[in-house]
Amino acid sequence: MKKYNIYLISIIFAAFVLLLYIPGAAVAGKITGAVKVKGLRAPADILVYLTKAPSVSVDLSKTKFVMDQQNLTFLPHVLPIPVGATVLFPNNDKVDHNVFSLSRSNKFNLGSYKPGERKTIRFDKPGIVELRCDLHAEMIAYILVLQNLYFAVTDAKGQFEIPDTEYSAKYCIPKIENLPSGKYTVKTWHEKLKTEKQEVVVPDNGDVSIQWNLTRGTPGVLYKR
Amino acid sequence: MKSKKLIFSISVGIGVVMVAVLMFNGFGYSQSSVNSGPDRLLYGRVISSYGPVENVRVRLPGSEGYSLTDKQGKFSLKIGHVPWPRFRITAGKEGWFNNGQFANQTDLSGEVFLNPILLDDRPDYQFISPEVCARCHVKLTRYWDRSKMAHTTSNPKVLETYYGTDAYKRPGIGPGYKLDNPDDSGNCAVCHAPSAAVSQPKTMDLDTVLKSSKTEWDGISCEYCHKVRKVLKDPSRPSGFRPVLERQSPLQGQAILVYGPYDDVAVPPMAASYNPLYEKGQFCATCHSHVKKVPDTSTWNPDSIYSDEEWKGFGLKDKSYLPIQTTYQEWKQWQSQLSPTDSNKGKKCQDCHMSWRKEMLPYDNYVVDAGARNMWGTWRSPENIRPHHFDGGTEIQLKTALSMELEGEIKGDTLIVKAYITNTNGGHWVPTGETMRSVMLVMNAVDGNGKPLELKKGSRLPDWTGIGEEKGGNYAGLPGAVFARILQDDKGNIHVPFWRATGIASDTRIRPKKTVALTYEFTLTDPGDEPEVEAKLIYRPVIKPWAKKKNWLVEDILITSSAW
Repeated sequence: MKKYNIYLISIIFAAFVLLLYIPGAAVAGKITGAVKVKGLRAPADILVYLTKAPSVSVDLSKTKFVMDQQNLTFLPHVLPIPVGATVLFPNNDKVDHNVFSLSRSNKFNLGSYKPGERKTIRFDKPGIVELRCDLHAEMIAYILVLQNLYFAVTDAKGQFEIPDTEYSAKYCIPKIENLPSGKYTVKTWHEKLKTEKQEVVVPDNGDVSIQWNLTRGTPGVLYKR
Repeated sequence: MKSKKLIFSISVGIGVVMVAVLMFNGFGYSQSSVNSGPDRLLYGRVISSYGPVENVRVRLPGSEGYSLTDKQGKFSLKIGHVPWPRFRITAGKEGWFNNGQFANQTDLSGEVFLNPILLDDRPDYQFISPEVCARCHVKLTRYWDRSKMAHTTSNPKVLETYYGTDAYKRPGIGPGYKLDNPDDSGNCAVCHAPSAAVSQPKTMDLDTVLKSSKTEWDGISCEYCHKVRKVLKDPSRPSGFRPVLERQSPLQGQAILVYGPYDDVAVPPMAASYNPLYEKGQFCATCHSHVKKVPDTSTWNPDSIYSDEEWKGFGLKDKSYLPIQTTYQEWKQWQSQLSPTDSNKGKKCQDCHMSWRKEMLPYDNYVVDAGARNMWGTWRSPENIRPHHFDGGTEIQLKTALSMELEGEIKGDTLIVKAYITNTNGGHWVPTGETMRSVMLVMNAVDGNGKPLELKKGSRLPDWTGIGEEKGGNYAGLPGAVFARILQDDKGNIHVPFWRATGIASDTRIRPKKTVALTYEFTLTDPGDEPEVEAKLIYRPVIKPWAKKKNWLVEDILITSSAW
């Protein structure tokens, strides 16, 4: 019986040690929450991100970030990506387009290209990249180049979860572990909303939930240097 | 059971036959597939009563590829799969009326005959009303009618500046051209009512134009533009350029001579002629340029305002000339500065101001509508259609013309903010055109409690941006900057109308694709505080002092804003 107990204790201990070392199995938690907005049709597509987070080494070579061009519109209108990611710019419209950006962090000009053609750009510096088309004045979109992978985009109900597993799956980003416990600064970004921030504490064991009430206004920079 | 199998077999058989018939007869055939398939050559010749015609562009109407004729007028046109047993090919060359010829799968029905346009400009020619053009070009004329281009004469601000009235039509309220020059009608009509002014450029009063029942007199009418054969330099004109018109009806029945960018339009209602001018920025020079000679007594010296390169780019004869509106020259000098490999090289006015807009979608493949489409329509890629909306100075254009970024840093008790303002989409300086326009950068810096921070270093907005409450659009004294070309007279008065101007006080407008960096320093009462800065970039179509005097609404457009 004693022998059996020793075995049992050893197994439990081994399992405990294993849990500590299996990535993601025992690390703290997520930041979840919901955003309410006055003056917007739906609180969707709002970026919620951590200004500083543990560095995670992720292979970005298989990610599939796409900024499409259809019917004189960039799709999606806002595309958050991690630093070092490559974005594909297919022209799926019926007219030529000329995608470019004069944003200080990532300047580029893809030149005019025809329907059916596609080009790519790698984004190596964090910041807001304002996309334009040189031929169609009303075309505008944003690529938000983020310093870390701990960000989320709100759904139609304004709900979010960091890390955002749905977003990761959509763009083929490898699985990102939960956040270690600790204090984090969480910020929002939307082109029509005033940027807000909150300090949150992720507890040792479990998730933390936060609520936002955003208002229309001027968005801020992603990172204050 | 047998009968069921039989019915099924018959149905399948009929289906296969139908598919085969449809494939060979071209039902459901997409026009866009013309020229697809293996290349075949169609041989032919273009001649005229003077002999063979060289360098004629021959093509299947609406297709991208074309063949050029040789010295003998011969051509070999590559055609792919054409689904019709009989079809037309077209031929066009500058200076000649376009024409066409029928062809079958292997041969042309005969040679293509071209008629030259004999130069015979007739000043007594009466321009056709846009209403006539609208019968076939329904959408194009609708876009044009909604544009500023269609109402340049009846534009209230133009009339009130011309006569010296205010928004309530009260007389004697300047600036007013007729107030300063009661015995002179001026040359405004040259651009604001060109169809009316073309035969009497110096004497046409805008009132005479408006009282006329001729609908083609208000604005820049369809036929006026499409009668322009070429554009020449002419220092006697306000723009420095003169359009050479060909006002005539050709001999072919009631056909209308129309110049345009297509070499493949050869249809009965119009006697169309291919003219590459319609795809060049030079076409716009006749009006989007305005210069004047200053009096000899003037002390105007451009050296302190413009670099040598910029001044040279205005193309003025000497320094006694004053650039008032130089949109065309601004575009031209930008283009001349670009390297051949620059992706902006070759961009022209038409690319931005005659491009598709979302509100026009779905894309159309024809420039004619209704019954005319069935009779004479040519299927085209949307890429080869220029919607005539002429957007400029509109909210859509302005919202993306400029962009702004902020950078901030706290050093001790000082908050340093840098604002970077970039002319992102303008192929000319921004703002351009009328000198009553301006763009303002308005900065607001506050501490963690929302209390304004004191500006230690950096520019402030001048009085003419409005003295009073900020919420009323008054920004004088606030940290910020203005971007404008400011005209002045010899007495040092600024914002004078162009006819009184003898110099330029400053020109801070933003050059194409260039960034202006401005630095502002604010005093922090608490270095540990978290200050916030908000910057707005606002377009103002009419400066406050003018708008106030004239009782015009100041309709500011927020271009963009950013916070740090």
